[in-house]
Amino acid sequence: MSVPFLGFGMGLRTCYFEQIISERPAIDWFEIISENYFVSGGKPWHYLSQIKEQYPIVMHGVSMSIGSTDPLNFDYLRQLKSTIERVNPVWVSDHLCFSALGEFNSHDLLPMPYTEEALNHLTQRISQVQDYLERPMIFENVSSYLTYKQSYMTEWEFLAQLHAQTGCQFLLDINNVYVSARNHNFSAMEYLNAIPKRSIAQIHLAGHKDFDSHIIDTHDEPVCDAVWSLFSQFSQQLPAVSTMIERDDNFPPLVDLLAELDHAKALTHDHWR
Amino acid sequence: MGDLASLQNAFIALLQQGNTGLMQDIEDQPPLQVNQRLEIYQNAYQIRLRGVLEQDHETLGFYLGDDLFNLMLTQYIASFPSQSRSLRQFGDRLPEFLRMTAPFSAHGILAEIAEFERILLRAFDSADATTLSWPQLQAIDIGQWPNMILVLHPSVHFLTCDYAAVESWQALKEKNVPPNADIKGPHYWLVAREATLRTGFHPLTALQWQCIQSIAQGMPFSMVCQSVVGEFEDEQAGSMFVISVLQLGIQQGWFSDVHLLHA
Repeated sequence: MSVPFLGFGMGLRTCYFEQIISERPAIDWFEIISENYFVSGGKPWHYLSQIKEQYPIVMHGVSMSIGSTDPLNFDYLRQLKSTIERVNPVWVSDHLCFSALGEFNSHDLLPMPYTEEALNHLTQRISQVQDYLERPMIFENVSSYLTYKQSYMTEWEFLAQLHAQTGCQFLLDINNVYVSARNHNFSAMEYLNAIPKRSIAQIHLAGHKDFDSHIIDTHDEPVCDAVWSLFSQFSQQLPAVSTMIERDDNFPPLVDLLAELDHAKALTHDHWR
Repeated sequence: MGDLASLQNAFIALLQQGNTGLMQDIEDQPPLQVNQRLEIYQNAYQIRLRGVLEQDHETLGFYLGDDLFNLMLTQYIASFPSQSRSLRQFGDRLPEFLRMTAPFSAHGILAEIAEFERILLRAFDSADATTLSWPQLQAIDIGQWPNMILVLHPSVHFLTCDYAAVESWQALKEKNVPPNADIKGPHYWLVAREATLRTGFHPLTALQWQCIQSIAQGMPFSMVCQSVVGEFEDEQAGSMFVISVLQLGIQQGWFSDVHLLHA
């Protein structure tokens, strides 16, 4: 699968709906949270239908629970498929994690162990989901706060293997790499260097809360200097990859997010022409 | 059970029951201790679910005050773990919880306020539909009116209150003191999305309620009239009343379509 370079985008959030429609800001594309549109109508669809007339849209899910050892939830997949048909996104992504088991939903992105069993499990499930949706999926690396004793490979080895086994592409969240690197004391750059370059379909940049002893991935702060630095270095190794700012709380004026997008453009200007 | 399934079960037991069996599977990585690493996930789970209820039931929170609202959040999250992939449904059983759980169950108004807030949420993102106009009705031959069946807009929802729940909700929204919870006889409410996409709510008299309920059950106009005629001196007065309800409903956008029985 080869995804197009859409430029520099932003997570579409309700607080910016009206401003985006009235001002048509210079944003190349928007990413929506898939599950927010698992509703029939009203304001969510009213605004999205106008915005998608003007901007390319990609869909980003948070509840597929692709890594869960439960059977796949086809009620969820049916809703996702019907939302995909209604939105007609450029691509669809979710997270490499599990979030639900049995009837229990954690509504969190819980990490997978990096084992052969998990790799084979994900390989099989990704294939089933893609067959059902009749399209390829893109998967994001999650931030984590613990390491399982069972993991005998690194996260980046795991991702490289997964790509080799499935051909699936990744939404690489550089903030998540940084958060996990600090929380587990590994080199974020070593991680990024090991990811097969052709596997990267999209990049997320986001902020976090730094508690010194650890970092919590909150998406409620501007992108920090260390993440900008990683992005700047890493982008030089890549062909142009669609990149976006992901903000989920403590929403600033839209102009602040546009300034972050301008910064991302400036950092890649010389090599992503 | 394989290692992966065991790990996932242990993780869920941590979040759902506070069972720390997962600790034995986690690497010790100073400076954080293993239990602190697990607490990050436990806290995130609680914060996320509490945040959803705080957002969906803000006014109920004002009514209860901080201490009782916090107690409600803690007990509800423990009693009714999320069973839906979307957080949108997480609070759906809150009215049921408030009706059956002390100390909340002693105050029936609480479940009614919660139910009202759930209905507002449902109306907010119900399916879109066109709204019926008066000229559409006028275009129907008057002889066919007894056979016409009105279709309610998908955003229309109903609520019957035995307490001053909606009045209290409205007072608190306007930063006023809520009225006495007790009322004489039930209050009837219709909630629907307006043309501006804002969700509105309207009080109905008992007769208006009966009339709209008959329409909601798919009764033709003649039977809707029949359902209220006993309250009037003659059939014509009953029909005129039903027409006044239709006018109100059309003005408010409560109807999406009309079709004829056997048509």
